[in-house]
Amino acid sequence: MKGVSGRHGTRPVLPSPILAASAGLLATLMAAVAVIILLRGHNAPGGGFIGGLVGAGALVVIAYAFGVRKAQRLLRVHPVALAGWGLALALISGLPGLLGGVPYLTHLWGDIESEVGVLKVGTTYVFDLGVFLVVVGAVSAFFFLFEEN
Amino acid sequence: MAISLTLVAGSFAGAALLPWTLGRLSAHALAVLPLAVCATLFAYGNDILAAGGETVRWAWVESLGIALAFRIDAFSLLFATLISAIGALVVIYAASYMDHGTERLRFLSLILAFMAAMLGAVFANDVILFFVFWELTSVLSFLLIGFKSEDAEARRAANQALMVTAGGGLALLAGLLLVANIAGTTEITAIVAQGEAITADPLFPAALVLVLAGAFSKSAQVPFQFWLANAMAAPTPASAYLHSATMVKLGIFLLIVLDPAFGHSELWQTLLVGFGGATMLVAAVQALRVERFKAVLAQTTVAALGTLTLLVGLDNPVAAVATVGFFLSHALYKAALFFVAGNAIHATGVARLSQMSGLFRALPLTAIAAVVASLSMAGLPPFIGFIAKELLFEAKLTSAGISALLAVAVIVNAVLVAVAAVVALRPFFGREQKPATLRHRERFGLVIGPIMLAGLGAAFGLAPGLASSAILADAASVAAGEQIDTKLKLWHGLTPMLALSGLAVGVGAFLAWQWEAVHRMLARVSVPTPMHAERLFDRLGGLVLACARTSTAAMQNGSLRRYTLVPLLAATALIVFALARTGIAVPDLTFDRPYIIGIVGVLVIGSALAALARSFLTVLVGVGLVGYALGVLFLKKGAPDLAFTQFAVETVFVVIATAVVLRLPASALDARTIRQKRVDGAVALSLGAASTLLAISLLASPFDERVSDYFRLASYTEAFGRNVVNVIIVDFRALDTLGEIGVVALAAVAAFGLMRGLRLRAKRSLP
Repeated sequence: MKGVSGRHGTRPVLPSPILAASAGLLATLMAAVAVIILLRGHNAPGGGFIGGLVGAGALVVIAYAFGVRKAQRLLRVHPVALAGWGLALALISGLPGLLGGVPYLTHLWGDIESEVGVLKVGTTYVFDLGVFLVVVGAVSAFFFLFEEN
Repeated sequence: MAISLTLVAGSFAGAALLPWTLGRLSAHALAVLPLAVCATLFAYGNDILAAGGETVRWAWVESLGIALAFRIDAFSLLFATLISAIGALVVIYAASYMDHGTERLRFLSLILAFMAAMLGAVFANDVILFFVFWELTSVLSFLLIGFKSEDAEARRAANQALMVTAGGGLALLAGLLLVANIAGTTEITAIVAQGEAITADPLFPAALVLVLAGAFSKSAQVPFQFWLANAMAAPTPASAYLHSATMVKLGIFLLIVLDPAFGHSELWQTLLVGFGGATMLVAAVQALRVERFKAVLAQTTVAALGTLTLLVGLDNPVAAVATVGFFLSHALYKAALFFVAGNAIHATGVARLSQMSGLFRALPLTAIAAVVASLSMAGLPPFIGFIAKELLFEAKLTSAGISALLAVAVIVNAVLVAVAAVVALRPFFGREQKPATLRHRERFGLVIGPIMLAGLGAAFGLAPGLASSAILADAASVAAGEQIDTKLKLWHGLTPMLALSGLAVGVGAFLAWQWEAVHRMLARVSVPTPMHAERLFDRLGGLVLACARTSTAAMQNGSLRRYTLVPLLAATALIVFALARTGIAVPDLTFDRPYIIGIVGVLVIGSALAALARSFLTVLVGVGLVGYALGVLFLKKGAPDLAFTQFAVETVFVVIATAVVLRLPASALDARTIRQKRVDGAVALSLGAASTLLAISLLASPFDERVSDYFRLASYTEAFGRNVVNVIIVDFRALDTLGEIGVVALAAVAAFGLMRGLRLRAKRSLP
């Protein structure tokens, strides 16, 4: 986490009481929407890229209202590391197919049955989550870097 | 389950997971990974050899015939055993050698990943797969050499090693592709089986030169030898590993693998013997010139690599035995000696040989290991180094053109004897010039490695049957490409080889006695030409940077106007060119959607606002209007995904742009002259007109629906998703997406690194 928080890291960029008051709610909403967009992406408009952009937007709002350092703390991991983990996740999501004897990145699907119905789950979700994390990590990294300089 | 694949995959998984789990409890415990690999090889080695080796094949890029193919034969078994056994000792050693917690774990995970990459390369049975692991070892050695990244010298050495070995790797890839193309297969065993046909092909010389460029750069042959000595900037445990059982031996490994196929080619023999001999001589001279403990050892490694290259180039069965024997004996004594050097440097904080003396009392076990390993290096009985060296002389005596080769061999051996005497005696038994300040005494983890390796060298020497029966004979057969009956013996009687050994020892002893004088003399002599390679390398690097500076100055002069104008003009020119070639077609435009008027109205208002506004914030509002209107258009025209992305990007863009704008002085809004404004307006209008014409023409040509139909139909049946766009992104074109997010992630890393570098520089420039 060192490095990203600079001299101006704690200074609220916009001293706007309206923003400060609404930022928490707004960011929470954006984060929730980001996750929903991510999850519904396979069948309805959405997916990792768009979800990631909205997710990064949530962090940007926090960074605006309370400073980069606060956004950093919320993220817990370094944004660049987050992008790295996302990339790793996307890479790994292609391996199960390989073990099943089909080409790399051939996604596998299975059913989870419950009383409500049958839920189709596949390794594409892991891949999409990887895309999501890369976008969140990279966009917020760019923003944080910019905000500090 | 295939053992080779299990070991490679398990090593990578272990390297990724163990350091942050097991390693937190105890860094020494990480040796369990290489030990497990080593134990598996011991447990199943005999079975595998009895079954004639193991080959497995997994589908990878079937359309190109590339597979995840692995094989184990006697030679790869021997090499893999060395990699894992010495790897275990390196881990134990490094766990004691490095101080800091997280830094030590980072280092150890690199070492373990390096071991995994080496195992992958040694077991790979597909040239492409082999190349992937080969480059992985280059990248990992880059990280190891540059491990002390705050040290400019380490960074330079790491960069240099990467440029040379990865650059050579590109030549290797080209060469391997040529070879695979001639052979019609990428499988290594199949390629080797077609040796005659390949060497007869007119493209063979080109392929051979390219492959050798790769192997020579990796194994530090002249003229690429300079990177290896500089790579001493790596922490000592890494040097020990790189020099004995890994990295640099990989080039030799490739030569040995290809030798049964190419060995009868005259070009192969000439190049290998020539470059190997030249490398030996250059390294011998350098070994007498350098002063640091590790640098002296590094030069003897280069000499040993030259010897191995030369031996592979000799076309007789004794040479094959000598190659394998020397391969083994060098790995044992070189790792031991690096451990010894590390101990001496670690304990005294001194790197120069001439400033170390009388360390025997403080580091007795290290001193004993140094003496034993040095005797093996000097090729004295009863150590394995003696057997290897006798074989080496024999191989040269039984080859054509022997006199020159023998002279080189004797000279190089004499230098090895001298270096052995100097590194074993001076630091430990030399007269005490001044009391060396000692930081610490011996620790268990620091002496177990050198003692075991030196002891093993002695054991193999005293009981040569142990080595020859266990593995050497089979490995030599693989290297020769035919069955060889090897009986290693310590004593052959009074032979010409023994006489040559005696000569080498005599000259070596003289050199060791006159070490200082030789040093002074060689320091005055100007450097022979092959050693200029480094200067050439530097000049080449400087040239590239100069080109970059010139082109940057020309293209990125800091004028945002120019940055925008150039691509816009280029785009306009391209569109006009395309339209001029195909002509402008006019489709039947039917107007049946009145809402379009509203959207276009917003678009026009937004653009006008952006173009005419006097305040940056208004400009942003205008641009935002255009973006959102486009989003609505996408939404209406049945592209909700695109619309979604548009809205998201637009929002983030406006927010970030607002942040920029609020920092800028409002008065400096527009500093353009009237003339500039007119030019800009003309450019914008012409691009707009050209794009409009292009769009209209595109609409006139009939839309080919095959691709979109395919995706629409296959989206749910094959990928279980109704959102075609997302299915394409995560499934049908997942590899593309992987590449794209790779670029995004790398850009983030690069931006971060750049910023940190700027900040460091800013901090340094402050008083």
